[in-house]
Amino acid sequence: MKDKLKFLTKQSLDRKINTKTFKIVNILLLCLLIFIANIDSIVHLFGGDFNEETKVYVEDHVNSYSLFEEAFSNISESFQSGNYVLEKKDNVEEFQDSLEKENIILIKLLPDDTNYVKGELISYNDVGMIAFNVIQNALSTVKDRFAISASGLSEEEISALTSPAVLEKTILNEEESSENKEMVASIVSLVIILPCFFLILLLVQMLGAEVNDEKTTRSMEIIISNVSPKTHFLSKIFAATLFVLIQGILLLVYGGLALFSRSLFSSSATSLIQTDGMMELLETVKSSGILTLFVRGLPIFIILFLSSFLLYAIVAGVLASMTTNIEDFQQLQTPMMLIIMLGYYLSLMAVQFDGAIFIKIMAFVPMLSFLLAPVLFLLGQFQMIELVISTIINVVFTWIVFHYGLRIYKVGILNYSSQKLWKKMFQSIKKNKKEI
Amino acid sequence: MLKVSHVTKYYDTLKAVDDLSFEVKDGEIFGLLGVNGAGKTTTFRMIIGLLEPTNGTITLDGVPIDYTVTDKIGFLTEERSLLTKLTVEEQMIYYGTLKGMSKNDILKELDYWLDRFHIKEYKKRKIKELSKGNQQKIQFISAIIHKPKLLILDEPFTGLDPINVELFMDVMREFKKQGSSIIFSSHRMEHVEMFCEKLVILVKGKSVLEGSLKEIKKEYRKKNIHIIGDVDIDAIKKLDGVVEVLTFANEFIVKIENDSIMENVFAIVKKGKNISEFRVEDPSLNEIFLSKVGEVYEG
Repeated sequence: MKDKLKFLTKQSLDRKINTKTFKIVNILLLCLLIFIANIDSIVHLFGGDFNEETKVYVEDHVNSYSLFEEAFSNISESFQSGNYVLEKKDNVEEFQDSLEKENIILIKLLPDDTNYVKGELISYNDVGMIAFNVIQNALSTVKDRFAISASGLSEEEISALTSPAVLEKTILNEEESSENKEMVASIVSLVIILPCFFLILLLVQMLGAEVNDEKTTRSMEIIISNVSPKTHFLSKIFAATLFVLIQGILLLVYGGLALFSRSLFSSSATSLIQTDGMMELLETVKSSGILTLFVRGLPIFIILFLSSFLLYAIVAGVLASMTTNIEDFQQLQTPMMLIIMLGYYLSLMAVQFDGAIFIKIMAFVPMLSFLLAPVLFLLGQFQMIELVISTIINVVFTWIVFHYGLRIYKVGILNYSSQKLWKKMFQSIKKNKKEI
Repeated sequence: MLKVSHVTKYYDTLKAVDDLSFEVKDGEIFGLLGVNGAGKTTTFRMIIGLLEPTNGTITLDGVPIDYTVTDKIGFLTEERSLLTKLTVEEQMIYYGTLKGMSKNDILKELDYWLDRFHIKEYKKRKIKELSKGNQQKIQFISAIIHKPKLLILDEPFTGLDPINVELFMDVMREFKKQGSSIIFSSHRMEHVEMFCEKLVILVKGKSVLEGSLKEIKKEYRKKNIHIIGDVDIDAIKKLDGVVEVLTFANEFIVKIENDSIMENVFAIVKKGKNISEFRVEDPSLNEIFLSKVGEVYEG
């Protein structure tokens, strides 16, 4: 029987992996991930209005051109708002005729009795909200400097006044040392939760379709006349779980390749900024202690994820065995999808509602725990013991569901009538072990 | 030898099979007959171990049927039980391996049977691309590829033309010669009659007639007399023991209750003119079946 289990598992896995669809989907996934990782470079590659050089001619009547230029450049860079070239002109009105043909903005910096300084902006088309804000903020910087100078303060006093106040932070709880919980949550969500969500969906769909196919073609009768329902059920569960593990590993590899491609293609200024940002992000992750927590919790995470994949595979297999066509299975799996969605949203809410008791309780509930417990643990809201208990509950629940699910499965796979379906299934649970 | 002893099967409160007993010896072909819903498929399912009997026992060579003996059984379901997305070769490897065969043996046997059934060129084709008849051949090959000791065929001739029916029968006779027990059901009584030695007729799960075909026909006392010529048919109709007279273009078929009526009929026929045929024959299995089942057979 062991050989047949091995054969059926291999056969089932082959039917999922050794297909053109699997290969095409994976090539598409790799291409899409590389595309998404390099989306900014690609956008820049194709160019557009954002890439056009905009000339900004400034007529200075307040003797502050260099201050305006510096403020403009800094603000423009932080906004990543476009490609501007500033030039000082004696009389910007001379260029008014060129405005229609060329991409030029004219600015006059003028003295003002009440507000020290004011500006006038002339352009052919609307300059857009971001460019307007950049110009206005640069002008405000000039105005602030005028105001402070008029107060008669020394350079040191001005510097002290304009620099931000210092707030020193000391956290005594080492596990609460995360500097940016929202960032932690977004990383955990992106790297762990989202792929798991995607993989569970895939697992449920594939297993359900396969069991349903064997049942509706009646090949189930031939298979079950040669191997026990338990062997058949186990082979489906193992194959589906192995499939999602392989797909998960492939996704990780694709993610790595996408990041690698980013480092290769990030030649433009914007990409460099993005890459720097990513390095900064990685540095923050490192310093926040998530990595340490992740490594500490990894063995438990693996058990929790594995048992959850098995649990979803068991439930999907049982539901598929009960249905007589794929449409019925699609309907029956909807509540399961909603449970995964609930887990996903609760894991995101865990950041917003720090220490929420309800979310903590939910993290012990099987089918939700694999989405919630790791997030809570990495956020420092779950102790190691709580993570272990949550995992044990999930493993035990998985075994119970398999034990009773198998009874339903045996009856379900050879049942072709939807009459009194639920009654039949509940009756099958009550049957003693000998009959199974 | 397959032995079914006092087997009863309940689905909830519905009795699908009622105290059914029969034996199929090695090298014997056995027919399991009945209208739709009579309990044939349930009986087959119990024999191959898919269903547990509520009462009674089923043994193959004295061993209760479980997964240790199912490798010796070949089963052809009434409906197509093939994974249509697989190729013929993949399908055979799948089912053959489940029967405990090695891949090499499967491929060797497959080549032989594909050649025998004249569908060699379909080896690498997907099953869904094949015609119904060819799919039935593939299904039949999957049931016999491991040379089973017991072959169970539920409506094996569905979708086949007469040439292929004959081909299937030849193969079944070969298996019989090799000592395999064959148990099958068919809606076509002429098929059953052609090569079935023993049979059971089921009505609502209960056996209403069982035994060898010869004995059944012998015990079933009604006969049919075929007459060609000018005879006083009204006089025949008035005879006691004449059940029915069927009139065709130049032939009459007189159905009589038993052999003793024959002489009275013959006496009237002798007085007729241009008599070219007076032939007494046993009733067909179809007639016996209809009379036992008591309703029009859905054939």
